[in-house]
Amino acid sequence: MTTLEKTASRFPRISFWRTVVAVIFAAGLYSMYARFVLGFNVATNLTDPQPWGLWVGLGTLCGVGLSAGGFAIAASVYLLGLERYRPILRTSVLISFLGYCTVCVGMMYELGLPWRIWHPIVMWNRHSVLFEVSWCVMLYTTVLALEFSPALLEKLPWVRVRELYLRWHHSILIALVLAGTLLSSMHQSFLGGLYLITKGRLDPLWYTPYLTTMFYLSAIPAGLAVTIMAIYLCVRSLNARVDMNILSDVSRVIAPLLAMYGVFRAVDLINRDATQYLWMWREATLLFWVEIALLVIVPLVLLNLQKVRENPMYLYWTCAVIVAGFMTNRLNVSITALQASSAVYYVPKWTEFAASLATIAAAVVAFRYAVIYLDILPKNPPQERWIVPSAPAEA
Amino acid sequence: MATTRAILVDITKCIGCRNCEQACKQTHGFPLESEAKLSPTALTVVEERGDRFVRRMCMHCEDPACASACLVGALKKTAAGPVTYEASKCIGCRYCLVACPFSVPRYEWTKLAPLVKKCDMCAGRQAKGQPPACVEACPAQASIVGDRDDILEEAQRRILGDSKYVKHIYGSDEAGGTSVFFISDVPFEKLGFVAAPKQAMPVLTANALGDGPTVILVGGALLSGLYWITQRRALVALAEAREIATKRRS
Repeated sequence: MTTLEKTASRFPRISFWRTVVAVIFAAGLYSMYARFVLGFNVATNLTDPQPWGLWVGLGTLCGVGLSAGGFAIAASVYLLGLERYRPILRTSVLISFLGYCTVCVGMMYELGLPWRIWHPIVMWNRHSVLFEVSWCVMLYTTVLALEFSPALLEKLPWVRVRELYLRWHHSILIALVLAGTLLSSMHQSFLGGLYLITKGRLDPLWYTPYLTTMFYLSAIPAGLAVTIMAIYLCVRSLNARVDMNILSDVSRVIAPLLAMYGVFRAVDLINRDATQYLWMWREATLLFWVEIALLVIVPLVLLNLQKVRENPMYLYWTCAVIVAGFMTNRLNVSITALQASSAVYYVPKWTEFAASLATIAAAVVAFRYAVIYLDILPKNPPQERWIVPSAPAEA
Repeated sequence: MATTRAILVDITKCIGCRNCEQACKQTHGFPLESEAKLSPTALTVVEERGDRFVRRMCMHCEDPACASACLVGALKKTAAGPVTYEASKCIGCRYCLVACPFSVPRYEWTKLAPLVKKCDMCAGRQAKGQPPACVEACPAQASIVGDRDDILEEAQRRILGDSKYVKHIYGSDEAGGTSVFFISDVPFEKLGFVAAPKQAMPVLTANALGDGPTVILVGGALLSGLYWITQRRALVALAEAREIATKRRS
């Protein structure tokens, strides 16, 4: 083996996805520089009439919402005793934990004075929805870290410490799951509650006193959809061994949840006499229908087909549609549905996209390595075609 | 403590001299160039709408949306009337900008340690018994300051006494009532005034927040109950399995 070959083997192989991630990280690095060295006006297209943009809409609202799978699965397994979901419990908790980590990192970009992020701990305003959200997110991120911690600590080489920790963890686990479920339910809905104060400005297709309920009801199926997608990818590319029937069981839960959400939206629109806006020729209405089609109609039709429920790849793409619909909903509420009243047309700057994408990419990379090196999912023994013939040892 | 102070702006009297803008900038130490829109260095501006001049500034709501929204309580309605901003508390979340029904607060987007900027009705000056700088500078008495009740009464007297006025005091019920009032002879919607909800904005979120404790209590009880059932079923199943095992052995 020449020196060149030796050096080359020490570096990772260049593959398509690695290139993509590298490009995203490079762009993210520049965005970090733009945001923290050059300031908001260089890094973002935010203005006074549009003070919250992509970092809130995608980073926070979608980030928190799509991380709802962890609490739903944990509550199902520990509180409802649905043991059949236990094999995917750790994965879903890990996804949620990493999701909340991206939200916390995103906060550093989003806040004007991020070094004061601790202020809500000591400066209280109980009348603020955002205050409640910030406390719930802080506490729930801690809960998730604790829920996930055994996966890391069980790798400790010191048996006594390990056993002691795991015993302590076992004794508080149910309390953790209970607290996590309540905290999640609170802040998932309060994220919608943030927009209750925009009465008269948020488009009538979205503004409702039940924004809280809407956010809660849509977060659970979307969070579960993300869990299904992640597990499918683990099976496909990380050699994980999961009974695919579990995924189709989860999809059987998603369908009624989405249907319930759809019915709620419909009843609410009728109750508020807002149905007139459904057939107007305007951008907001168009986006509303895109959202409803992706989040409710298309997934319900697809999940109704046995072929889709039982084929992991079809299921994966159905979940991708749900996630896209969910993201459309959150971005509609936080950006597009406020645009008519603010009279500015906000299009995020590329650095805003890059910062969000880099944070998400970091979470995906962390997830990948966690699944590879920790006991998150059982793995198949390495198969023949993946074994790289090792170079003969040098004499 | 003095009673709540309020400002009345009579649009029919404004001559568009922009002395209020200048006085405001001087008091706050901002550069003196006139600006077209509210900005971090223009906390009040006179906008031209047709042949009328409309002064824009913080409305100093009685129950302000911004103060209810601010998670660290940096924005507060003071007993004297002004809604003030404590910069040292602010974390820069900008929820106040989202919450304000009048779109008043401005953010220092160009700074690396940006703060929120909005009119504070010269709370410092008023505490010393001086009128707000803008009111003091007005040569036409288009802006006057006084106790809120007296100011409202004066506004009432003017719009009832002269048929040219629109029969509405803008700010009397907008966002549940404010401490800055406008009267005009041109309909307010033609002057760019927003049709703000006629209710105190914090009520909108207070209802949802009020559900919090219920969610915790009812949800907590429900989940604990479900866990108890789960636990119980597991125990029963275990006991049954043991019974079967002992029977088989004997």
